Amino acid sequence: MCVYGEDFMECPSVPIRKFHEKSIYNKDKRKVHFTFSDGAELIEEYDVNTDELLLRKWRKKGTLGNVGKWEIEVGEQSSSLNFEIDGLVESNANPVFIRKDTKSHFQWRIRNLPYPLENYKIVTKPQEGQIVLSTVNKKYFKMFGVPDLTRYGLPLQQDVIEMAHANNTLIISYKKPAAYVEFEKRLLQEIKRLKASKDGDVDCATS
Amino acid sequence: MAAPTIEKVQEVREVTRIERIGAHSHIRGLGLDDALEARQVSQGMVGQVKARKAAGVVLEIIKEGKIAGRGILIAGQPGTGKTAIAMGMAQALGTDTPFTSIAGSEIFSLEMSKTEALTQAFRKSIGVRIKEETEIIEGEIVEVQIDRPATGTGAKVGKLTLKTTEMETIYQLGQKMIESLTKEKAQAGDIVMIDKATGKITKLGRSFTRARDYDAMGAQTKFVQCPEGELQKRKEVVHTVTLHEIDVINSRTQGFLALFSGDTGEIKSEVREQINAKVAEWREEGKAEIVPGVLFIDEVHMLDIECFSFLNRALESDMAPILIMATNRGITRIRGTHYKSPHGIPIDLLDRLVIISTSPYEEKEIKQILKIRCEEEDVEMTDDALTVLTRIGMETSLRYSIQLITAASLVCRKRKGSEVDVDDIKRVYSLFLDESRSTQFLKEYQQEFMFNDNTDEMETS
Repeated sequence: MCVYGEDFMECPSVPIRKFHEKSIYNKDKRKVHFTFSDGAELIEEYDVNTDELLLRKWRKKGTLGNVGKWEIEVGEQSSSLNFEIDGLVESNANPVFIRKDTKSHFQWRIRNLPYPLENYKIVTKPQEGQIVLSTVNKKYFKMFGVPDLTRYGLPLQQDVIEMAHANNTLIISYKKPAAYVEFEKRLLQEIKRLKASKDGDVDCATS
Repeated sequence: MAAPTIEKVQEVREVTRIERIGAHSHIRGLGLDDALEARQVSQGMVGQVKARKAAGVVLEIIKEGKIAGRGILIAGQPGTGKTAIAMGMAQALGTDTPFTSIAGSEIFSLEMSKTEALTQAFRKSIGVRIKEETEIIEGEIVEVQIDRPATGTGAKVGKLTLKTTEMETIYQLGQKMIESLTKEKAQAGDIVMIDKATGKITKLGRSFTRARDYDAMGAQTKFVQCPEGELQKRKEVVHTVTLHEIDVINSRTQGFLALFSGDTGEIKSEVREQINAKVAEWREEGKAEIVPGVLFIDEVHMLDIECFSFLNRALESDMAPILIMATNRGITRIRGTHYKSPHGIPIDLLDRLVIISTSPYEEKEIKQILKIRCEEEDVEMTDDALTVLTRIGMETSLRYSIQLITAASLVCRKRKGSEVDVDDIKRVYSLFLDESRSTQFLKEYQQEFMFNDNTDEMETS
C-alpha cells in the first residue's frame, strides 16, 4: 500500500507494503503509524464513527540525521499553553491556518481573520502546485499546496474553489476530484483491514 | 500605619556582555603582511618574527585545505609566545574554520578513554560545509514593544510586529529574543532575518521607505527593499558543522533514554564509520565540502606513549586535521616509558612533524608587549615605570611582569593616582615574590618549613 511516496505511480491499485505500519485504537480514534525506508514517519488519525481524517502529520529526517519536528498537514494539534516563551512565538491574535477536510472537499479554515469576504483574493498556480491567498489590505498572505493531489498527480483547478467568511473565520473549500474520492475510499478500506492494538491509555478507575 | 514604601526600582544593567581579559586576549592575528612577512608589532604580536612567518606558511597550507594530517610542533622556553602564536593562527583562520584547542593533560580527566578523547578532539577539528534547509522569518520591523514588569524584577515580555509587502504578523518575544534584539539595536524600519530554530537575528539593512527619515545614521547604512510574500520562508543555508557534531546527533539514543546519555559519552565506532561513509557520499554528490581545521594540543609532553602512537596512526587518515602542538620541554622522559627523547615526544612522531622554535624576547620586545598589555587592561603607566617593569621582565619572567601590571594599577588607584608610577611598581615588586626570589627564600629558611627532611627524597624521585 504505497500511497505516500514516489513509488505510488508504479502501483496505484496493487497494495505493496513497503513500509512498516502500525494501527492503534484509542477510544474513538484510529491511529495509523507509517515508517518509510528513508526514516520519514507519518501518523494519521481517523474518526472511528465517521471515518473522517482528523490528523495527518509527517516527520522527516534532517540532512544531518537529526530527528525533525512533526509537521501537520491536516488537522490541528492541541498546543499546550506555555507562558514562559523563549525565543519567538507567533502571537495568538494572529490568523491561524488549519486544514480540515470533509468527505467531499479539501477545506482550509483561517481563524482570527476579521476582514470581510471582498478583502480576499485566491489564485491557483498549477505549475508550482500552489494556491495563493492574498488580501487587499495587505494584512494576510498565504501560499499553500494540496499535497494529496500532488502525490496523486492531479493538477490544481481554479474553478472548484469556494470561499466563505463567518465568525472571524475564512473557509476555503476545494472540491475533491471524483477520482481522488474513489481513491480515498479504497485507502480507508485498506486501513480498516489493519489489525489494531489498543493504545496505552488504560481506563483508570477513579473511585 | 503602614510605612510608606520606598519604591526602589532595581537598576537593570543592560550590558551586552562583559568581556574578561585573558592572558592572550590582546592577540588578534599573526600580524603578517600579504607577502607573509611579519611586521614587528602588529595585531597584538611582538617579535618572534621567524616563528610567526613559519606559522603564516602553515596557515596557507591550512587555507588551501588539500593536505591532511600534517603536524607542527612549536617548541620554546616558557613565556616565549607559543600559545600566543597558536591563538593568532586561530584568529587569522576566522570563525568558519574549526579550531579546537586542548591541553595535553585534559584528556586524562575526562570520563572516557584517552583515545576516545583524542578521536573526539580530532573530529571536532574537521568541518563539513553543508546546505541545510531552515525556517527563517524575513521582514521589516513595524514595531518593537518591550514591557518591563511592574515589579521591577522578573522576565521581560515583548511584542514584535513584522511585515512584508503582502502581510503583517505579531510575534511574542521571550527573554532571550529581547536581549538579542536590543543587542542588535533593531528598531522600526529595519529589515531583519531571524533564524527560527536558533533565534539568531541578522540585520539586513533599512527599508527604502524610511530613506527620508531624519535619522542619524552611519555612512554604511544599507537600504534594502521590503521582502515580498510570506514572512516565514524555508531557505537553504550553508553552514559548517564539525564531524563530532554529526556524530553526536546520530548517536543519541532515541526516546527517553536520550535523557540519560549526554553527548559526552563515548561514540560507537560503527556510528563514526557510517558518518564517514555518508560524508564521502555527500562529497561525491557535491552536497558537502570538507573544511579541514586545526587541532592545537598545548603542553603536548603531558601525553603518554599510547597517545603518541595513536597520533602516529591518526595523522595518516585522510580525514585528519592539521595538528599543532606546543611544548616547553627539552630532552626529557616520555610519559609512560623510561626513555628520554627531545621534547618528551617519541622520535617516530617527531619525524612526522615540522618544528617551529620560539626564542626568548629581547628587552625592546618585552617593553612592547607590556605596553600592549597595559592598553588591553586599560592601565595608564609612566615611561619610567614601564622601563622598570621591563627590567623586571628581563630579570624574572614576562608572565610575572604582566601580572604586576594589574596589581600596580590597583595600588595606584588606591592612592588615587591616575598613572602607574615607579613607586607603585616597586611596591608590588616587594609585595609579590617572583619565582627566583621565592626559591631563594625557601633555600634560606628551609629549616623552618614543615616536612623539610623529605626534600632529599623528592629530588631523587
